Amino acid sequence: MDAWWQCEVPYPFVPPDVLNAADSVRASLPNRYCDPKIAADLFEEVIDEFLLCDDLGMNVLAVEHHAGVNSLLGANPLLVGILARQTRQVRILSLGTLISLRKDPVRVAEEYATADVISRGRLEIGFVKSGGSEMASNNANPVTNVERYWEAIDLIKKALSHQDGPFSWEGKHFTHRHVNIWPRPWQKPHPRMWSATGDPETAAEVGRRGMVHVLVLRGPEGTKRAYAAHRKARAEAGLPKVTTDNFAYAAFAYVGDTDEEGVRVGSKLLWFLHTSLKSAPQYSRFLPGSSPPQAAPQLYRTAPPAAAAPGAVLTAGQNAARLTSITAEQAMAQGILFVGNPDSVYRQVMEFYDKVGGFGHLSLVGRSGFMTHAESEKSIRLFSKEVLPRLREIKPVTVD
Amino acid sequence: MTNASGSAVAERLSVGEVELEVLRRGAGRPVLVLHGLQTVDPRARFLDLLGRTAEIIAPSHPGFGLSPRPADFETVYDLVHLYLELLEALPYEKVALMGLSFGGWLAAEVAVKCRHRIDKLVLVDAFGIKVSDRETPDILDVFNTSPPEVLRRSWHDAGRAPDPNAMSDDELVVRARNWDAACLYGWHPYMYNPQLKRWLRRITVPTLVLWGASDGIVKPSYGRAYSALIPGSRFEVIEGAGHHPEIEQADAFAGAVGRFLGR
Repeated sequence: MDAWWQCEVPYPFVPPDVLNAADSVRASLPNRYCDPKIAADLFEEVIDEFLLCDDLGMNVLAVEHHAGVNSLLGANPLLVGILARQTRQVRILSLGTLISLRKDPVRVAEEYATADVISRGRLEIGFVKSGGSEMASNNANPVTNVERYWEAIDLIKKALSHQDGPFSWEGKHFTHRHVNIWPRPWQKPHPRMWSATGDPETAAEVGRRGMVHVLVLRGPEGTKRAYAAHRKARAEAGLPKVTTDNFAYAAFAYVGDTDEEGVRVGSKLLWFLHTSLKSAPQYSRFLPGSSPPQAAPQLYRTAPPAAAAPGAVLTAGQNAARLTSITAEQAMAQGILFVGNPDSVYRQVMEFYDKVGGFGHLSLVGRSGFMTHAESEKSIRLFSKEVLPRLREIKPVTVD
Repeated sequence: MTNASGSAVAERLSVGEVELEVLRRGAGRPVLVLHGLQTVDPRARFLDLLGRTAEIIAPSHPGFGLSPRPADFETVYDLVHLYLELLEALPYEKVALMGLSFGGWLAAEVAVKCRHRIDKLVLVDAFGIKVSDRETPDILDVFNTSPPEVLRRSWHDAGRAPDPNAMSDDELVVRARNWDAACLYGWHPYMYNPQLKRWLRRITVPTLVLWGASDGIVKPSYGRAYSALIPGSRFEVIEGAGHHPEIEQADAFAGAVGRFLGR
């Protein structure tokens, strides 16, 4: 198993009364509450943490979110470019610039190819479908989001792998009549591709395409179901079985010297769920195209929606609602928070591994909220030295 | 056959390969009604009022109501050509065309292109053009604005708004279909065609531009500007109504439309 360090560069320093009064801490919260001097310090610390990972041999992962306290990484390719140059040995996963929001996938391919070359072949490319508030932030039609997602992936993939001069693309959502990017990527035919998704339809397509399938904070049932949809779709399409190397899981993680320290400091990560998910109904419940119309009776009435039936697939919005009030104990029980001393964290990861049928990549959402730089670096050191070597012993296996 | 609300009868109408749910009411001169962001409620009083002297034909746009939406049928261009085709297919030489809100945009586009099948045009709190400067939106972004604010700006008296809690499951599913379809067709540029303004002068049929005085989705000043671009058109305001004068002031609305059509 491989591990990836992830920090979304959240911005928690907005007065609580402002956050409480806002109907959304994403998309519409005025940026006067973001002090660029504090933001600069945050970026400096977080990039240093990524570089510490590089020293210690843990891969790094850069996300993208727009216009909110949850993340200052609106421009993922910039961070990826910095990491491409400043790290020297580890692999870099962009997860990812939000392609269904980008008007020109060819430009995205250029950015990725450039980062792959600068890093001399250490780039991995992840694709994420974007969140509801990001449709507003980027003027992106939510109804056709998934169509743009797949078409952009197709075009990026072709732009990265095509070496025979200009080709033309006249797709449904993107047209580009003269595609011929320089440089081409270092890796052939292109860097490995990942996709983050939990819903069964997209999971199946991720499976058919053989991408690395990453589940973020989905807990054991949702994760297992998505992996199963991935494998089932491959089997139905007559494609070869994949190993656990095709599967990834991202959760909050913190390693302390003791269980007490791990839980106490690691609980700070839950700020992300408690505070930064708050999203106005127009970006979530009522976002066009985000739920099938048949879900409307639940969503439109003001009476609190009934709890989802056991085994039901939650929409991203429902999943977020479930997470905003979670306690550390619940988060640990649900497999979205791995915290404690090194032995405990290893054990929790492996328990989750067994529950979902295995995965080859663990992404640690390792710094969030008010966690300090020193706390974050301590966890990186302990994880890299005490936990990662044990996880590396777990080799990819074929999954039925 | 019942429609989503379980009342009244919804017919089907085929236009080329597209099948539409159609609400019909009344008898008299034919009036084709193009609905707005929501389909026309078959219980709406204005239908009965207008139906005393007119035959109302109110299709649900593909993707709205119970009308299926063919794959790749997803632009206003498609809708406009569908209704041009429908005008050719109706058994009348000419009809009056009425468009509400989003449907007003469609009606204006159709009237620009088709001068031989329409004898009168009524635009009600219509979308479709860009009037103000680039930093002043004319049309409230209903998809990116908080629902209470959208409600407040849609109605003179928000207490008259349909209450989702009182709707059946089927009606709510239709509302959600309508919402998704409106977003699909109207997201970008948001609810207008940058080129339409230039061509409104081609509308030569008598035109009534009707506006709710309290409309906060598209303000009466926008309606006035719209009307000024259509040669010879008449602009009227309905007091005590927001974006839906046909619902909030059904009598005044039907009166104004009736006077215009009967003229």
